[in-house]
Amino acid sequence: MTWQSIGRYSSQGALVDFSQYVDEGYSDAFEPVFWRAVSYEDKPYALPHHTDTFAVYYNTDYFEKLGVSIPQQGPQSGWSWDQFIDVARQVKDETDAEYAFAFGFQGPNTAYRWLPFLYQNGGQLLNENMDAPQITNQAGVDAIAWTQSWFEEELIPAGSTIKATDSTSVTNLFATGNTGMMIHGDWMMPYLKDNMKDFDWDVTYMVRNAGMASDLGGNCLAITKDSQNPELAADFIKFVVNEENMRFFCRNSQFLPVRKSLIEQGIDYSYRPDAMQKFLEQAKTIPDHMAGVETFPAFNEINALLEDQLELAFTLQQEPEKTAQGIEDGIKEILSE
Amino acid sequence: MAGIAREGGSKSEQNGRGSSWRSPNERRLLPYLFIAPNLIVFIAFMFIPILFALYVSLTQWTLIGASQFIGFDNYVTMLGEGQFWQALRNTAVYTLGVVPTSMVLGLAAAVLLNRKLPVRTFLRSVYFMPVVISGVAVALIGEWMFNDQYGIINAVLTKLGLGAVNWLSSGTWAMVALIITTMWTRIGFCMVLYLASLQSIPETYYDAARVDGASGWARFRFITLPLLAPTTFLVLIIQVILSFRVFDLVYVMTGGGPGFSTTVLVQYIYEEAFTNQDMGYASAVGVVLYLILMVFTLIQWRISRQGEAGQ
Repeated sequence: MTWQSIGRYSSQGALVDFSQYVDEGYSDAFEPVFWRAVSYEDKPYALPHHTDTFAVYYNTDYFEKLGVSIPQQGPQSGWSWDQFIDVARQVKDETDAEYAFAFGFQGPNTAYRWLPFLYQNGGQLLNENMDAPQITNQAGVDAIAWTQSWFEEELIPAGSTIKATDSTSVTNLFATGNTGMMIHGDWMMPYLKDNMKDFDWDVTYMVRNAGMASDLGGNCLAITKDSQNPELAADFIKFVVNEENMRFFCRNSQFLPVRKSLIEQGIDYSYRPDAMQKFLEQAKTIPDHMAGVETFPAFNEINALLEDQLELAFTLQQEPEKTAQGIEDGIKEILSE
Repeated sequence: MAGIAREGGSKSEQNGRGSSWRSPNERRLLPYLFIAPNLIVFIAFMFIPILFALYVSLTQWTLIGASQFIGFDNYVTMLGEGQFWQALRNTAVYTLGVVPTSMVLGLAAAVLLNRKLPVRTFLRSVYFMPVVISGVAVALIGEWMFNDQYGIINAVLTKLGLGAVNWLSSGTWAMVALIITTMWTRIGFCMVLYLASLQSIPETYYDAARVDGASGWARFRFITLPLLAPTTFLVLIIQVILSFRVFDLVYVMTGGGPGFSTTVLVQYIYEEAFTNQDMGYASAVGVVLYLILMVFTLIQWRISRQGEAGQ
């Protein structure tokens, strides 16, 4: 299941507690953020399987003419928010692209992909104890304002909002040269391979500001409470997530591993290994706290609330302060239930 | 028939063929045996779930774990919930946009295709085909055609010098785009029902009218329309029910956006049930939807019965 949905199942007792099937120290082999993501009340309820994340795709044909310097030195060298807007304005004004970029929303329920921008700005959605929202501070309001400015400045198509997109509409715009860049996930590469015939593309690191952050994507594997043979299921899941099988899976389906060893060694992807390498490095910037938020039991309600409020900010220009307040009020209501 | 209805007489008189198992009791039972399969399916898949939904609407339940009885709280919450009223309003607007227009155009298509044209059969199939396409497929087609940037409709509008429209990124236009896309799937349906009715109107009526000097429009207004009244009521009920129940087309095409401008009632129910895990509240809204449609159906039923009685 996805990271964003495990919280509601583990918190309601629908999954088997995995701690009885793994030894002490088993978790050390995994990148900590993913182990945190599968844990509820410090016990694991699934094993991490793979991840994917976001970075900036760009149209190399367009960028050749622009003479913009592309970040090459790891995620910390990614464009800052201001730099990115400058690049975007250049793309819009000086190339054939109608819009500068589009962001990888894929329809309802994908609002959580906005959260990295909040964390990039040094903010976070909930406080440290995860019992109250923390979005109405300056970091939160500015993050909303900055992402809203994309729409206000028409750097991004008006129809590229959370509710109005579907699984391929954003990638379509990039593949047809309508946008010069696209902030999206690594799993869109096969689509580009099949559909981006008129242009070439490459990948650079995600934008950053005070901090770095990128999307928490991917899946983990769990056992349902009603399983007839949980021990066998646990063995099978451990087999699927062992180093060899994880490497095989990631290599063949353009996904990123979650084991420390594989992240260090790298994976020899068959298609565009250079681009996948950038995603791999980017995956290390997934914030620990954000993973905790996204696996929070009531997260799907919070996700829906984010979707509604951000939609209003993006489509009807609702003020950032009001949007942040709306999110805060909604989260307080959800937490009190 | 008379043999079954007659109460008196000896058994051998009633059973003309003399077979011993057709007793009066068995004869009374026989019709029920015939409708039993349908009745069982109806009870199992419609009646019982409706009762269950009624029960769940009085509880708070997240699907995982036990439910908690809370009486009418869900209904009270609903009345004060802005999003519910918005969803109801959107659904009503959508219905008002789709139903009259598709009925009028369906009738027009039926009248035009009732004549002996060489391509008549082909055209009828063409008009009816959208009805049988999956709602999701229609929604995707609609989404691509109405897309602000690369949609073909904006491309044509621009070529004609009319300028592009913000179809899916503006509240009003998104609703219009939804209505137009839906009409594509409804006109054929109305057309087929009207066609069947039109063909049962005796040609002699029209001949008599022509003899009396009635124009085409007069024949339509005074013969066709009144005789189509039962069909019109039927089509109206079905269309309204379909429109109030719409989900897949809207969800896939606009996701209920921009903002909440195209969120319809069933999407609201879906999100409350499966995203917010509030099965009780969602069931309550479902019950309200059921009641709205029930009221509408009863009104139409009453009017059409009066209409039939008057003939």
